Amino acid sequence: MEITFWGVRGSYPVPGRATIRYGGQTSCVEVRTSSGSSLIVDAGTGLRALGQKLAREGVQRRHHILLSHVHWDHIQGLPFFEPAYISGNTVEVYALLTAADELQQVIGGITRHEFFPVPLEAVPAEINFHEVDPGLPMLVEGVTILPFALNHPFGSVGYRLDADGTSVAYVSDTAPFTDVLHKQHFLSGLETLTDEDRRVLADMRAALVKSLKGCDTVIYDTHFLPEEYARFPHYGHSTPDQALEVVAGNDVRRLILYHHAPSHTDDQMDEMAARYKEKGAAVGVDVITACEGMVLTVGPKAAAGAS
Amino acid sequence: MKIRFWGVRGSFAMCGKEFLRYGGNTSSIELVSDDGGRLLIDLGTGATEYAKTLMATEFGQGKGKLAVLLTHTHLDHIQGLPFFTPFFIKGNQLRILGADPAGSTLKGTLQNQLAPHYSPLNGLENLAAGVSIESFLPGTELTIDEFEITTAAVPHGTMWTTAFRIKADDKVVTVLSDVEYPAPHRPTREAFALAAGADLLVHDAMHDDAAYAMARGWGHSPVSAGVHLAGAAGVGKLALFHHSPDATDAAIDAIVEAAQARTSIPVMAAAEGTYHEI
Repeated sequence: MEITFWGVRGSYPVPGRATIRYGGQTSCVEVRTSSGSSLIVDAGTGLRALGQKLAREGVQRRHHILLSHVHWDHIQGLPFFEPAYISGNTVEVYALLTAADELQQVIGGITRHEFFPVPLEAVPAEINFHEVDPGLPMLVEGVTILPFALNHPFGSVGYRLDADGTSVAYVSDTAPFTDVLHKQHFLSGLETLTDEDRRVLADMRAALVKSLKGCDTVIYDTHFLPEEYARFPHYGHSTPDQALEVVAGNDVRRLILYHHAPSHTDDQMDEMAARYKEKGAAVGVDVITACEGMVLTVGPKAAAGAS
Repeated sequence: MKIRFWGVRGSFAMCGKEFLRYGGNTSSIELVSDDGGRLLIDLGTGATEYAKTLMATEFGQGKGKLAVLLTHTHLDHIQGLPFFTPFFIKGNQLRILGADPAGSTLKGTLQNQLAPHYSPLNGLENLAAGVSIESFLPGTELTIDEFEITTAAVPHGTMWTTAFRIKADDKVVTVLSDVEYPAPHRPTREAFALAAGADLLVHDAMHDDAAYAMARGWGHSPVSAGVHLAGAAGVGKLALFHHSPDATDAAIDAIVEAAQARTSIPVMAAAEGTYHEI
């Protein structure tokens, strides 16, 4: 299994000199199995370049896009996904249903004429929507996919993908499971947790830890440095320390820091990468900071070659 | 009056080495009068960069005042809105002015952009500054501080956008972004009237002329449309704007050179980063 990072940024794309090395496009990861089929996780702005590549290759006619949630930075690339404009192609979109609205209505809603000139219903490819159910595995292109619930405003899911005798998990976007329980209302700051909230959070964390057990590689929302998290604990994102706490001692070989804050410059990222490489080593986890264009081999082969 | 482009890219924000000189951010233009009054046009990703500089001024203390004009609400012109930090500081007086999209309202559209599915802000009411959303009919004349603004609807594919002629300090800037005329050399009367005698014409130049053959009807201009209008309307200078996401710095250099060879009016490509005196 091979994973390629097409967008590693959170919130919104950040062009410019300060983000040249780590990249400025938002969330999008391609997972390719040894049989050659690929799955896409999240449709942020990184999806445009991936779509161009897939269209150029012209091999795959059926594309699968797993969405963590439908905040703009995770779906904004969808209207620019070139394979959707090729007749005969199919795009299967998987997402969590967070409200009474149909998925098609919510996701198609980003191409209403006020926002985009071509409505999703009008593209030549066939687009199908699939509701995911946290805890219920799916089998897609020979990959077993386990969705699990995350702690993020209006709901979010992560995915564990098992194929080729190995596994990768995508855990973004999520807040830690201590300070806030995200529901479906606006938070201007932290709210007092009820006992029930604490129980829900503990269950969510336990299910996540269980889902990640033995995973070769875990990609995790580490938007914030600790000092930033302290100011914005209600934003729905984690720190690398919180990610490490979830994966350490859980038989996870490698942790990928992901969904970088748009304000983080390459120099800050270098510093963070070095700091957490060390912190990870101390607890037996290989910590890598994601950058756009990075390709990683996941699995036994990678493990054998790892230092 | 001065102008600064904070975002010059059309459709999609582009990151990478090939886009550093002209910039990869989507549409956002700042105008500054001689007295220091500011006006912003569009809230593409470029506006998030502008927001950072504003926060270092009175906007950081909740004492800022700014009006934003929208050409339309396609995503590349509003995607910076949820991240425009002055909106989050109570006390700032912020207005967003634009036309109602067909069959909808400006406020409803922006509210939908911030709907809980799409944004943790959960709606305009949670922007602490209390933004005033004001719809106007294209054709309306607006006065915002020292800026006198003439507005008009111009064709954009199957819809239309709002174009602006903005006068301050006896200088005129015309902004015709996201426009496609019936033919490149046949601007609409409204577009011509807005551009007539302007000191600076900022014009949609999404397609080079060769690429336009494939993109007719998509709502954007070939470079020659701006060059033609600049000449016909007798403007002082032409700034090519709303660059294709696929146009690298080298490609834009070539576009400017080819355009300049066809007109005596000074041609530049809008680029992020510096103030230009008009």
